[in-house]
Amino acid sequence: MADIEVIDAEKRFGTNHVIRKLNLRIKDGEFVVLLGPSGCGKTTTLRALAGLESIDSGEIRIKGRRVDHLPPQQRDTAFVFQLYSLYPHLTAYDNIAFPLRASGKPEAEVKKQVTQVARVLRIEHLLDKRPSALAGGDMQRVTIGRALVRRPEAMLMDEPIGALDAKLREEMRAELRRLHVENGSTTVYVTHDQVEAMSMGDKIGIMNDGVLQQYDSPVTVYNTPSNLFVAQFVGSPIMNVVDCQCQAGAGGIEVRLAGMVDPLVLSAAATAPLAQHAGDALALGIRPEAIHLALNAAPEHVQAKVHLIEPLGPYDIVDLAVGNATLRARTPSRFVRSQGDTVWIKLDDARTHFFDKRSGLRLQAGS
Amino acid sequence: MAQVSLKQVSKRFGAVSAISDLSLDIRDREFFVLLGPTGAGKSTTLRCIAGLEQPEAGDVCIAEQRVNEWSAAQRDVALVFQQYSLYPNYTVRENLAFPLRSKLRKLTQQQIDERVAKAANTVRIAHLLERRTDRLSGGEMQRVSIGRAIVREPRVFLMDEPLSNLDAKLRELLRAELKGLQQRLGTTLVFVTHDQVEAMTMGDRVGLMNKGKLIQVGAPHEIYNRPKNSFVASFVGTPAINLFDARLDLAAGRASDGALSFDLDEATRHTLSSVALPADGKVRIGVRPEHVRLVGAGGIAGSLYGAENHGAEIVAILQSGDHMLRATIAADARVTLNQPLQFAFAQDKLHFFDPVTGDSLLH
Repeated sequence: MADIEVIDAEKRFGTNHVIRKLNLRIKDGEFVVLLGPSGCGKTTTLRALAGLESIDSGEIRIKGRRVDHLPPQQRDTAFVFQLYSLYPHLTAYDNIAFPLRASGKPEAEVKKQVTQVARVLRIEHLLDKRPSALAGGDMQRVTIGRALVRRPEAMLMDEPIGALDAKLREEMRAELRRLHVENGSTTVYVTHDQVEAMSMGDKIGIMNDGVLQQYDSPVTVYNTPSNLFVAQFVGSPIMNVVDCQCQAGAGGIEVRLAGMVDPLVLSAAATAPLAQHAGDALALGIRPEAIHLALNAAPEHVQAKVHLIEPLGPYDIVDLAVGNATLRARTPSRFVRSQGDTVWIKLDDARTHFFDKRSGLRLQAGS
Repeated sequence: MAQVSLKQVSKRFGAVSAISDLSLDIRDREFFVLLGPTGAGKSTTLRCIAGLEQPEAGDVCIAEQRVNEWSAAQRDVALVFQQYSLYPNYTVRENLAFPLRSKLRKLTQQQIDERVAKAANTVRIAHLLERRTDRLSGGEMQRVSIGRAIVREPRVFLMDEPLSNLDAKLRELLRAELKGLQQRLGTTLVFVTHDQVEAMTMGDRVGLMNKGKLIQVGAPHEIYNRPKNSFVASFVGTPAINLFDARLDLAAGRASDGALSFDLDEATRHTLSSVALPADGKVRIGVRPEHVRLVGAGGIAGSLYGAENHGAEIVAILQSGDHMLRATIAADARVTLNQPLQFAFAQDKLHFFDPVTGDSLLH
């Protein structure tokens, strides 16, 4: 078991600044997901933890011990790549047993550990098969089994299920998470898929352009994103972000979207973050499920027109014209009947966010 | 008017049958999605419509005319692919104008300029017209590709996974944009994808293919709510539908498989009494995660194997004996790993399939 600490880490490839002043504390036994678009520095960070990449400055500590100058094999971490890096001439059993035999474990002990790992991964029935006889998902489970059997201090995984089809990914997500719960090793997991991050991580570190944008629990990241990038990278359907104007009115701060005559009805608590920001370029952010939609006029609701209905099965996403802005709301399946309909909407006060468009930061009351 | 119909079309590549005996009617002005896994034959079907492949058998018709012998150009259809296939050294304007410069079209420079300007506005790239295409982002490039298809004012748009190379956020935006665009233009569009979300959200109708065959054609809600077989049921919807085998005992009013056992309600028994069930009573039951709910008592006993936070909701993974089932529950539900719990199904939403053929016993 191990805690991992990254302190002021920097990394450049030539003129390309891939990791900028990265600070990360991963507690013993935690499952941390590094999430971001391609080129954001997440894989480089993972490789630096593994020792496959050096850092230019800063420190990496595992279990309090400084390791950034140590070769990979002295860091006691196991690395799982997306690629199925199995020995083709060995059976699944022998592939998983390989690291144990290499470290000279007696055969009885090898058998015990391989069997145990196989049981957790549900690949017991595949143990005598060679990689070529295995389906993609099974192969990846064997790969994970081989990493796991070493009982490493830390598991480092780079998009381990990215190449699998959607259904298998769904299953593997649950299995990997479950495995972590049973196994308890500190895990750092890299992905560009926000669903994986949200559903598997104890914490998510969202990166962009080499900079850690936010490092928090999935619930916090989803409900209170620190900036526009995080707000729109996490969550599907994505959070609505639309320009808004704010001015002092009779009943407090009035917020209008482009082209709106009457302001939105928002509570004083919801508009409190706007107090010091009159005249700034601002954006309103709200998740599709935080827009209440009514088919008839209702108090505190504003009128909207239905542009498009996107059915997803369990629910619909409805594109609404509000003033000149477009907002997308999540509704029960077939709640809104047809395009062109007029509906009434109300934004959930507690889930309405405001962002400074220049800095991208989410405004908080008193800031 | 541009209906597209395929009549008993078959196409082989060597020993491999890519599509077999495929019949399909796509309506004028329709947004039609061909959906299916890799190798289903959907791209081959599209290429047969485009004239890029010749079927061995069957008729390809556009606007009620057989076009098998027509060249791709004669068919007056416009293709958009996953790869952008733009001329990299040319500006956006030149890329858009290119298909209009053909001598066959006999357009004046002024006419070309007007059509380019109109198409550029439609796909919101007017500000990029003088930029070279190798200086564009992926989303911009795909907009240009679509613009180049629009500018020709074809009878039919044919698109093969045009959004697949884009990141998730852009895909979501372009999805709505493309659907709105097709409605404004009113041009028949055939769209190939393996992504069920794209199919559900954009298609007026969806044709689901597998192994060279068309399995089901219908509006998105029909495909989702009334799947013809278990393949359709599990291909559409995320998280995926729960499927498990069970034995029905209608006399006792019970469905069971080991620990997973529950009473069938009156309406479900009534429905099942009028269908031809397999003699041994063995069926495959399908239930979507949003139709599994946690109950206080009187449900199926299980425990919580996992819980996935999806932001707007939680997907709970329930273990009952050897079975794993997913249930969509409220985002603020408090659940603890391994806790014992009970769950029940919205029985009017249950699907029953033949465990051997996979065919729905209800639809």
